[in-house]
Amino acid sequence: MTDKSLDDRALHFSGVASRLRRLDASILLWLALIAVLAFLVLNPILRLIISSLQETDTGHFTFANYRVAYGNIRHLQALVNSLELGIGVALLATLFAVPIAWAISRTDMPGKAFVRLMVFAAFVTPPYLGAIGWILLAGPNSGWLNKVWMALTGAEHGIFNIYSMTGLILVVAVTSFPYTFVFTSSALDLVSSEMEDAANILGARTLRTTLRITLPLVTPAIIGGIIISFLEAIALFGAPALIALPARFNVVSTQLWQFFEYPVRVEEAAAYAMPLLAITVLMFWLQRSLLGRKGYTSVTGKGGERRMIALGPWRWVMLGYALFVCALSVFLPMVVLLQAAFAKAWGRGFSLDNLTFHNFYYLLVEQTQAKQTILNTFVYSAVTAFAAISLTLAIAYVVSRKLVPWSNVLAFLCVAPFVVPGIVLAIGFYAAYASPPLALYGTATILILGFTTRFLPIAYTSSAAGLRSINPEMEEAVRILGGGRLLAIRKVLIPLLKKSLAGAWILVFIPATRELSAAIFLVGPNTRVISVMLFDLSEEGNFEVLSALGVILLIATVAIAAIGSKMIGRDFMLRRD
Amino acid sequence: MFTIRRRNFILGSSALVALGTGPKVSAQAAASMTPHEKELYDAAKKEGELTWYTAHSDDITSQALGRSFESLYPGIKVNVLRTTAQVAYQRITQEIKASAIQCDVLSSTDLGHSVELKAKGAFEKYIPENSSKVLDIYKGYDPDGYYFVTSAGLIGIGYNTAKVKEADAPKNWTDLLDPRWNNNIALGHPGFSGYVGTWALTLRNQYGWDFFEKLAKNNPRVGRSINDTVTMLNAGESAVAGSGPAATLLESVRKGNPLAMVYPTDGSVLIIAPSSIMKGCKHPNAARLFMEFLMSPGASQIWVDHFTESIRPEVPASKIAKPAKDLKIIRPTVAEITKGVPEVIKQWRETFGA
Repeated sequence: MTDKSLDDRALHFSGVASRLRRLDASILLWLALIAVLAFLVLNPILRLIISSLQETDTGHFTFANYRVAYGNIRHLQALVNSLELGIGVALLATLFAVPIAWAISRTDMPGKAFVRLMVFAAFVTPPYLGAIGWILLAGPNSGWLNKVWMALTGAEHGIFNIYSMTGLILVVAVTSFPYTFVFTSSALDLVSSEMEDAANILGARTLRTTLRITLPLVTPAIIGGIIISFLEAIALFGAPALIALPARFNVVSTQLWQFFEYPVRVEEAAAYAMPLLAITVLMFWLQRSLLGRKGYTSVTGKGGERRMIALGPWRWVMLGYALFVCALSVFLPMVVLLQAAFAKAWGRGFSLDNLTFHNFYYLLVEQTQAKQTILNTFVYSAVTAFAAISLTLAIAYVVSRKLVPWSNVLAFLCVAPFVVPGIVLAIGFYAAYASPPLALYGTATILILGFTTRFLPIAYTSSAAGLRSINPEMEEAVRILGGGRLLAIRKVLIPLLKKSLAGAWILVFIPATRELSAAIFLVGPNTRVISVMLFDLSEEGNFEVLSALGVILLIATVAIAAIGSKMIGRDFMLRRD
Repeated sequence: MFTIRRRNFILGSSALVALGTGPKVSAQAAASMTPHEKELYDAAKKEGELTWYTAHSDDITSQALGRSFESLYPGIKVNVLRTTAQVAYQRITQEIKASAIQCDVLSSTDLGHSVELKAKGAFEKYIPENSSKVLDIYKGYDPDGYYFVTSAGLIGIGYNTAKVKEADAPKNWTDLLDPRWNNNIALGHPGFSGYVGTWALTLRNQYGWDFFEKLAKNNPRVGRSINDTVTMLNAGESAVAGSGPAATLLESVRKGNPLAMVYPTDGSVLIIAPSSIMKGCKHPNAARLFMEFLMSPGASQIWVDHFTESIRPEVPASKIAKPAKDLKIIRPTVAEITKGVPEVIKQWRETFGA
């Protein structure tokens, strides 16, 4: 053994040692974050998968749950119905969203700010509230639209029937098209006019240019929107419960609910939920492989000039279309919901002697549960938003600064809940944490944990996007001057991120206030939230009180979002700059 | 002297009940509490509240009962959770599975649930003093003392008088099969409503499942709660409520809605609705006091004010609603309900599609 090799080994050894020392702290951090994510994400999903393979009482391994869950033609039919619903919604939402996004982002259509505001209003409206609005609008005999139709034509019967698959597709599409809109318009904002100019020079007219050049460039965003609205639609519980049941068909989510009836069959429910999980994973895989093949490099940054296309008289046509979509999604449902909220009996119509404040009085004074429920909703949603943002910010930081090895695992776990429909997640949470030792059933904790998990992907995406916009050099400056990492985070990062964090907070807060499917299996009598109370009230068809509660929810949500937007000085979701 | 501890207190009061030595209750005013009631009240005040899952009535009547209890027994808050019977059952079984009982008193409308939950050992045994003072037909459903009839209601046929003339209205159940009601019948869903479950079972006993196969051809609008049928009549969505809950419908008439009730010539369906205390609940004394309250004349008066049956002989029926004793009544036995309602739910889903 020579001296040199000894030296080498010593050097090597000290290198490993210092590396180990450094790893120690970061490994601990990594382990802590992994543990939190395992608790929130992995364990509930695993528990669900395991219990789908267990016998109810003995816990023995079995495939019987799958046999029972799929050995029934009606259960299979529900699966087919869900697919039909998802595809219908995805297509209709695209039809609604893409033209509007294009008109706002690329043309001189008038009234853009207003249309954008209405799209935001559609985003805030929970689907079940939209469903109630549409029941009042298009109930086959009593809906306002049908009444108007019958009055105008003298017909015996109305022409719209909300209690149908078409009706359900419409209701879900009008509340989920904002997703596709946001995706598409933010991509369109990045496409420069140069390529369109090239097409124009070569003789293509506006329409041809748009269809052959502009829209193909943003295909990834449109596909993203299609996938999101598809997944939203198949995972939805509230709107199908209100519309599909009277229409006399089931979808997967309403069928899942039935497994919790007398006698409760959690294991069969778990087995039945698996395809929903599989479909979602498949969709994401499909998206990746579809988009992986083509280059979309023109959507890279903000370079290039952007000019608005002059539409001439067609801009009024575009505005008309945008207003039509807004009417379907916001104006019409809102008018009838407001009418019902202030009506003694909504069927009696718009007259002064039908006007009353009693529905609000009933909710806020006579009904002892409502006040608590309203408070719960906003407290839980706020806490959820804080929890999700703090956790994902920590993770995004660790990931973007590559503080630990395999940090991508953390990122993956954060976005994984995206592929778990809310109702399935709730069943997993219930299976994992409702019983002792944790015994979280009926506590606020389980709801907040469930919500936090559900919205981790949104929070993570926003936090990571915020962090990406900040150059690490600024922190490095702090550290070169002797400051620790925590100091750098506290004094540099957080102040810089304040606005985008506030935006992210609102992005989690709003969907949390309206979340029904994750809440329905996790609430106890003292932890009810507005969405669940609306669902309970809707059993009796008590539309006046329901609408009043919905109005309270919307006003409070919009007020909080408005304050938030004011604070951060921009409409946080609908525009890029 | 020895100080009375809470535990002794509870033991004492239960012993009193078990022996059935409580003094006679005559008038249930707050001022004149019986010693037993006073004991329960004192113990319940320490608990401060109770949670009541109820499917007995609509939300308005349930809230009225809750408020009445609170004013009779100041210091005890009632959390009223009104849902359909199946939803209440679903939440209860979730709580049992998670060993975290949130509900104190469960008021169902499906006797089968009571039989099932009692067999599982989910109920606390408690024989209310008032249970011996209700009308004879509501006595002794569970001699072991785990569940008691605390409400009863009638199902007939309702119609919208603005759309249907009295002469044209259905007179009996089979009239619902007339094609003229196509697209114009409202029904509840047995998969949710306990009332509708028992109603469907009763009609299956009477006419066979064939009746529902034919009814489905009339394309009825199926909601969830039985009370939804009244909403559909008021809205003008349906002309006839095939499963018409007398109480909710008459309450709606009082509000000025153009509705009327038909008591079918082939028999109105009487629903017997039970209540129980959950084993392991958090507010056992408040729960006992509430059970006494549900079977008190005061509660019956509220039921009658909201057009539901009185279960106490002292409280006469309302002038508007016809009491069960004056009508032809059809109803299944408890054993039939326990076995039959789950069957009916299954058949319903096959026939009506959801």
